[in-house]
Amino acid sequence: MNTDLSRLALRNATILIFTAVLVLFGLVAPGFLSPENLFNIVKQSSFIGIAAIGITFVLLTRGIDLSVGSVMYLGPLIAGFAMRDYGVGVAGGFAVAILAGLAMGAINAFFIVRLGIAPFIVTLATLFFFRGAGTWMTSSRQFDFDREMLDFGLSSVAGIPVPILLFALALVIAHLTLTRTTFGKQVYAIGADPEAAKKAGIRTGTIETGVFLISATTASVAGFVLISQIGRLDVAFGEGREFDVIAAAVLGGASLFGGVGTAWGTAVGATLIQTVKTGLIFSGINLYLQPIALGLVIFVAVLLDSLRAWRLQVSQRRAIRAEVAD
Amino acid sequence: MKKLITAGALALASSAAFTGQASAATICFAFQDLETEFWVAGHAAITTTLEEQGHTVIERNANEDANRQLEQVRDCIAQGVDGIIIIPQDGESAVTIVGEAQDNDVPIAVFNRPPSDLSRGIIVVADNETIAEQAVDYLVEKALEDADAGETLQPLILVGDLGDPNAVGRKNGFYNAIEKQADRFETPIEVATEWDAATALSNLEAAVTANPEIDLVFTSSDFLFPTIRSVFEPRGMWKTRDEEGHVVLGGLDGDATACQLIKDGHVDATGVQDLYYEAEAALDAILSAIDAGEYAPNVVIEDPGFALTADSITDSEMDMWGCVLLAEGFLDN
Repeated sequence: MNTDLSRLALRNATILIFTAVLVLFGLVAPGFLSPENLFNIVKQSSFIGIAAIGITFVLLTRGIDLSVGSVMYLGPLIAGFAMRDYGVGVAGGFAVAILAGLAMGAINAFFIVRLGIAPFIVTLATLFFFRGAGTWMTSSRQFDFDREMLDFGLSSVAGIPVPILLFALALVIAHLTLTRTTFGKQVYAIGADPEAAKKAGIRTGTIETGVFLISATTASVAGFVLISQIGRLDVAFGEGREFDVIAAAVLGGASLFGGVGTAWGTAVGATLIQTVKTGLIFSGINLYLQPIALGLVIFVAVLLDSLRAWRLQVSQRRAIRAEVAD
Repeated sequence: MKKLITAGALALASSAAFTGQASAATICFAFQDLETEFWVAGHAAITTTLEEQGHTVIERNANEDANRQLEQVRDCIAQGVDGIIIIPQDGESAVTIVGEAQDNDVPIAVFNRPPSDLSRGIIVVADNETIAEQAVDYLVEKALEDADAGETLQPLILVGDLGDPNAVGRKNGFYNAIEKQADRFETPIEVATEWDAATALSNLEAAVTANPEIDLVFTSSDFLFPTIRSVFEPRGMWKTRDEEGHVVLGGLDGDATACQLIKDGHVDATGVQDLYYEAEAALDAILSAIDAGEYAPNVVIEDPGFALTADSITDSEMDMWGCVLLAEGFLDN
């Protein structure tokens, strides 16, 4: 019984850490657990969360995508030009952002899959290329969207803010894709053992192309969702966000060595980071100490998660031996 | 953009103080990035004026990477440039870059973002603390005018990147002004922005949720006004001066958006960096040093700036670079 409980606790360590953080800040800061604030936390998590869900697919295949911050900038920018110059409206702009993301993902995939260049190198190059393209298109100036963009970003459906709905939609689609489709199973198979996957007849190139398309598309959508809440796209937008996105995925249990991770875990990771950030603000922690405190929490969470994985591995090994002895 | 360049060039060319005496020189202009209107306008003013005077400009963009900027400056030195103008990434890297240039006998000017050591190089710097204090003095006055006698008010500051000396200076200026009326103000709420709109959005939303009763807001850069609007508007806090529930609001930079918002009544004041004065001073000093064969000129040129307020905009509108850009249709493009 105790073993079952501890195993259950270990399996859900991230959720337990999340709960502990909520309780801690709830005790320290009155109002932290108010519905309004909890809604805000999820809303503000949506930006990093949507992109992190996408990059989880890449991480699962042992890949990396460093271009997501630049895609977050260039995708909405192309959408903005389409909205301004062709009057396509917000829905059309959203579709253009998706197409732009797909195009940027295809560029990454072409060099990685077709030419066999390491993902780190390719996406580092496109990080500069995509941002440079955006800077050139705007001559380093900000891009102001029409009022309808802001109306979209600040709108709600049945009282739920649109960014939260899009975050939830991305999560559900990603979860179903990873758990219920052949594509999802093949993503895990490649991450677990690429050579074995190839020998098993999995078309690894097609799967890898798919994950880079997903990563760039979600990054572009994430940028669009955030910019729709501000109405202005600055040239520095998205810079360095690739690290936040990867941190969210890893915090949610994704392994940088592939094969391990879930869309749900990533969503929790993104929300956990935002929860800590918000909690530090509610607690009135000194600005100089906030990054230190955030770094500590992330470190402890990842450490506990690693410990969890190790303990789980050990306990499962014991269980197998016990079964053999029986 | 052409209009923007013209505005900067005209402002410089029309300056009686600008010598423009230097013979044709090759100037390396290394900037960290051009993230906001201020940097774009400053970049345009410097490059256009130099080119119009027959100088060759080698431009280098470090994309916010201090190490890359150092390498770019070394590359410029290797190419044998006559002088260097930099907009550094931060105060510490600026010290290294200035030292590198002077050790190689190349005069260098630092534009607007000061090194942590001001003793070397031509340092053109806005007095951010004083400019912020002037703007916040006005905000304090307006907030107290609207308050009941004896009522204490809640101020909030959006703080920039704490690695940037400009951000620290602006924060200090804000506190200087608030502390003059310490008995009328609660401890200010500090919101980190890291000069990033997305960070500012999430942190401000959290701060306003935690403290809904805010009376005065100062943003350390005008480029965050659209972000403030996004947080305030759904809460019914985005009001003009004439409307009930107006939150006294100010910033610093003096950009086109701030000018428009002061006219609209949403913003009460902004601290203004005199961009054209700063560009003129940097060019004048570097070209004079080159002409005089002076390799390591060391001087600090301070821009005292000013505050453009809802009360002074009618008379002083065109003193602010953002209003000049606004009049030229900058926000319409």
